[in-house]
Amino acid sequence: MNEVYARRELKGAGILSYLLKGSIFLFSAGIIASLFVTLFNLLVPEVISFTIDCVIGNKPVPEVYARFVEALGGTEYLRQNTWALAVSLAVIALLCAVLNYLRQYLNIRANQTFMRRTRNKLFAHIQRLPLDWHNAHSTGDIIQRCTSDADTISNFISMQLVTLFRVIILIVCSLVFMFMKNVRLALIASAFIPLFLGYSLMFYAKARKSFKKCDEEEGVLSKIAQENFTGVRVVRAFGKERYERDKFEKQNKYYTGLWTGIEKYLALFWASNDFLALVQGLLLIVIGTIFCVNGELSEGDLVAFISYNTMLMGPVRQLGRIISNMSKAGVSLARIGEILNAAPEEYGEEGGLSGDIEFRNVSFGYEEGKRVLENVSFTVPQGGILGIVGVTGSGKSTVTKLLGGLFHADGGEILIGGRNIKDISPATLRKNMGLMLQEGYIYSRTVGENIALAADGASSDGIVGAAQLACVDENIRGFANGYDTVVGERGVTLSGGQKQRIALARTLLRNTPYIVLDDCLSAVDAETDAEIRTNLKEKFGDATVIIISHRISTVMDADNIIVLEDGKVAESGTHAALMSADGLYAKIYGMQTALPDELTGEA
Amino acid sequence: MKKFNAVHGKKHGFFGLGKLKPYIKNYKFLFVSMIVCTVLSSIVNTVLPLFQKYAIDNFIGGGTLDGLGIFAAVYAAFIAVCTVFDFFGGYNCCLIEMYLLRDMRSTAFNHLQTLSVDYFNVNGVGKIHARVMSDTSAVSSVVAWDTFSGVANMVYVIGAIAVMFALDALLTLCVLAIVPVTALVSVYFERKQTKLNRSVREINSRITGAFNEGITGVATTKTLAAEEKLDKDFFVRTDEMRKRSNRLGHTRSLLWAIIYFFSSVALALVLWYGGIITIEGAIKIGTLSVFMTYAQGLIEPVQWAVDAVSDLISVKVNLERFSALTETESGVADTPEVLEKYGDAFNEKRENWEALKGDVEFDNVTFRYPDGEENVLEHFNLKVPRGTNVAIVGATGAGKSTLVNLVCRFYEPTEGRILIDGRDARERSVQWLHSNIGYVLQTPHLFSGTIRENLLYGKPSATDGELWAALKRVNADKVVEKTDKGLDTVVGEGGNTLSTGEKQLLSFARAILADPAVFILDEATSSIDTLSERAIQDAVEKLMEGRTSFVIAHRLSTIRSADVILVVDDGKIVESGKHSELLKKRGCYYNLYVRQFREELMNKS
Repeated sequence: MNEVYARRELKGAGILSYLLKGSIFLFSAGIIASLFVTLFNLLVPEVISFTIDCVIGNKPVPEVYARFVEALGGTEYLRQNTWALAVSLAVIALLCAVLNYLRQYLNIRANQTFMRRTRNKLFAHIQRLPLDWHNAHSTGDIIQRCTSDADTISNFISMQLVTLFRVIILIVCSLVFMFMKNVRLALIASAFIPLFLGYSLMFYAKARKSFKKCDEEEGVLSKIAQENFTGVRVVRAFGKERYERDKFEKQNKYYTGLWTGIEKYLALFWASNDFLALVQGLLLIVIGTIFCVNGELSEGDLVAFISYNTMLMGPVRQLGRIISNMSKAGVSLARIGEILNAAPEEYGEEGGLSGDIEFRNVSFGYEEGKRVLENVSFTVPQGGILGIVGVTGSGKSTVTKLLGGLFHADGGEILIGGRNIKDISPATLRKNMGLMLQEGYIYSRTVGENIALAADGASSDGIVGAAQLACVDENIRGFANGYDTVVGERGVTLSGGQKQRIALARTLLRNTPYIVLDDCLSAVDAETDAEIRTNLKEKFGDATVIIISHRISTVMDADNIIVLEDGKVAESGTHAALMSADGLYAKIYGMQTALPDELTGEA
Repeated sequence: MKKFNAVHGKKHGFFGLGKLKPYIKNYKFLFVSMIVCTVLSSIVNTVLPLFQKYAIDNFIGGGTLDGLGIFAAVYAAFIAVCTVFDFFGGYNCCLIEMYLLRDMRSTAFNHLQTLSVDYFNVNGVGKIHARVMSDTSAVSSVVAWDTFSGVANMVYVIGAIAVMFALDALLTLCVLAIVPVTALVSVYFERKQTKLNRSVREINSRITGAFNEGITGVATTKTLAAEEKLDKDFFVRTDEMRKRSNRLGHTRSLLWAIIYFFSSVALALVLWYGGIITIEGAIKIGTLSVFMTYAQGLIEPVQWAVDAVSDLISVKVNLERFSALTETESGVADTPEVLEKYGDAFNEKRENWEALKGDVEFDNVTFRYPDGEENVLEHFNLKVPRGTNVAIVGATGAGKSTLVNLVCRFYEPTEGRILIDGRDARERSVQWLHSNIGYVLQTPHLFSGTIRENLLYGKPSATDGELWAALKRVNADKVVEKTDKGLDTVVGEGGNTLSTGEKQLLSFARAILADPAVFILDEATSSIDTLSERAIQDAVEKLMEGRTSFVIAHRLSTIRSADVILVVDDGKIVESGKHSELLKKRGCYYNLYVRQFREELMNKS
């Protein structure tokens, strides 16, 4: 799945055919199987009508299968040995069974292949969409599209679309057979088809609004319950149980009333639909009888005709619902198309990277008109360590995100080894840049896997080594399953400090020439903080490092420190220089070591 | 476990459905009329093929059209009757489903109103919500529809067999030969399918989890350049999903193919033996055609029976979860005597309620959480005279809420007692206590609805004037004035987006309207804009004036001015006393306070 997606706009059916790649053949095979099932199924009434007319009765054998009857031994032989007819029926049934199995299994298999492709494409694509896109969409919405919208489409194709094909085949075949038996009777029977179709289409079109209203009202009911449960302390504390009960009961009754109102029509629709089908059956029997008595139709043909009609009516009555459901699938398809049509990042080739990091008058804002960084300039010579401090909201974390190529500067330029970061492929940039984000994500897998995720083919020694550097090895060994402990949902919950240190270990394991650590120790206690800092000094070696923190102690040993204030560089220099300058840096330092007034006297 | 189930099953009848008796009892008439209508319409449905037989044997066989008009009229009358019964049967079934659903939901919801807060903590809101909304829906739908189809199918089977036996016994046996075979095959496959179904659902939820992770962790994934590794892991899951679903598809397709095959075999048997006896003249052609219709028609009831069993198996779980909820007894229940005097949650006897003055005392209290293993309080004593401000401080997760939970009677002490105005809290009703306590949460909870509705929660009878006065007292009037619709502005989920600080102020106004004697506040740690900060501090001070208060405190101002400070660490109270005394100790409180001080300094700058 290394392919980088070619940018092309996919629309409506285009998305569908893109997703159907690889499964279309299976779907078609299923449809062909279903064509044969239908044909063989239609043979059954043929055998029955032949038996009634030619074996039991004395009608001449129709020419179409005269040859076949001869091969079986002629009607006289069959009359003595009806088992032969039964066996031929059973053989047809066996063929039907095999084909039926194929039809259903191929369809399920095709659907699964389709779903796998859809899910894989969505997942891989979403991973590669730029952060801008992610910020503009809520997680819930994206997941909804990947799960329930994908399910809607899969249902549409595997059930509705395939059924539609099957129904059409069935209708056409039954009609052909029926017309072959008797044209006038067939005309009467088929006159009902548009009636059924129109009636149910009309009903579902009208009912859709009411169904939607019901869904919404159940949503309201569900929300009342949800709010009551999450706010249980408030409800209890204000003693509002009775009020809440009345609120729920009122909505519950309203919703129930709404449904039962619709259901009256629904029951009426079903009953009238059944009625229509029964009337059609009655007409066929009565008129068929007249035809038979007049000698226009044989009784075997009438029985066969009624069998065909039964086969036909089931699908015809489904058709309305299928068609009215199609619009739902269209909406889901468009929602998935929106994701797949969004432009992913272009990763490019992986390569090496070296040289100084330089920010030249860099400006950036997440929203129009709101600058987070303004004219920020600094240089980190290769192998040097830069510290960045500032209070919350000063723009520190944005520096990290720009260096990872997650966002791009609006003004100015960022250079690495003299190359503009915009010209460096994300693949190269991220391979060489060991970034630790402020709120690094811990995946729900084992602790060991979480660390190993960062580097290709990491050895267990390497993982433990990195954990030791980040002072988290001991904690991990304290878990019930050590490095194999699963994190998250059904696993252990990690404290903020543990999460940070695991994320740090992960970053260190990568051995990148550039390391950027954003607020990596804020939740770690002072003692461990100091120990990690000692470890880091050794580990950094030749790497070019940027350490970002709001804690002075974390950055004070850096070769150079810049102080950010409201997105601008307020000061820069070494710890000693900044302290003697007595500016913002010194003020922050003062705050972080200050004692409350009532204690300063005693201290 | 199996044994237990058997006993369990016996006690509550068929698949535990006995538990539904009280709900079904109310709709006896609907049930009876649904069953009667369905029986009648099914009987008509079952005998309809006889018209076909009559037409073939009488008119066609006899070569006459005499009486065809009457025949058609009778036939039409049967159809009309069938339709009418069909409609009432179906409609009554819908009604039963909805009424059962409504009643079960109301019962569950109302019962939850009487359960203590710890039930919600232990079980989780998501699960409880599913029990009230989804489990009930599964149960009511299966009960209504399976009864409906059950009756229809049973009548069809019995009717068809009766008609067939009346026509020809031996030929009937040909048709019925397939029933036991089909049933056996279905049961065998059903078991397999249940297992496979579960495994598919399990992998499906893992895929959803992976989507969630891929989306929320995307920035980290990019910085680690781990996209391909995550892809690979994801593809393994979708592969597994495909594999398992295909296996399930194979079983399902095979089952259906076999069932269709057997139904055709029955048809072949009828053709063979029926052919012989028709040729011999024992039966007429019309009779033969009736048998063929039944041979094909019987397959559906058999299939239904198989599905119904699997429905019942799965709905048994829903029903058990539902009744576990409605049978849970509150961990904080009032004695019958107390209920007698003070009333319950839905029928308060306010006339018997004494005023609460605000003296709170922990008397030798030992406490352990119901799901916990060790005591978090042991022989704890604390007197809080009326009007005292108690601050509770400690690190996140240290167990600061315990005392508050006990004062609110969200939990009962394991040993010892809590005295309110000198009397054991259990001597008066939970409801009485709660309506005298004001409670403001760190994450303020507003209900969806207008600001007015939310404020009236504190005092239902309040006039707009009183609402504005309360808003003004806690500086929340500006928040409301700022909105375009004032008190009628819709807040809460999906409504006007107020900041956390603004919501906090509104919840203060709500609390002050209730005018409680005891006030409990869980202060917000952060995420409140500096503008609101000052306003909130003022509001808190107003609220605490002259009331007994317990504050889970984060703000220095609140901590410093408290009458008593309790320092909690690892679930236990490690230090207690006044601010100055505790500082001198240079212990836990000292460290906490200094850290808090520095953080506040940093945040203010």
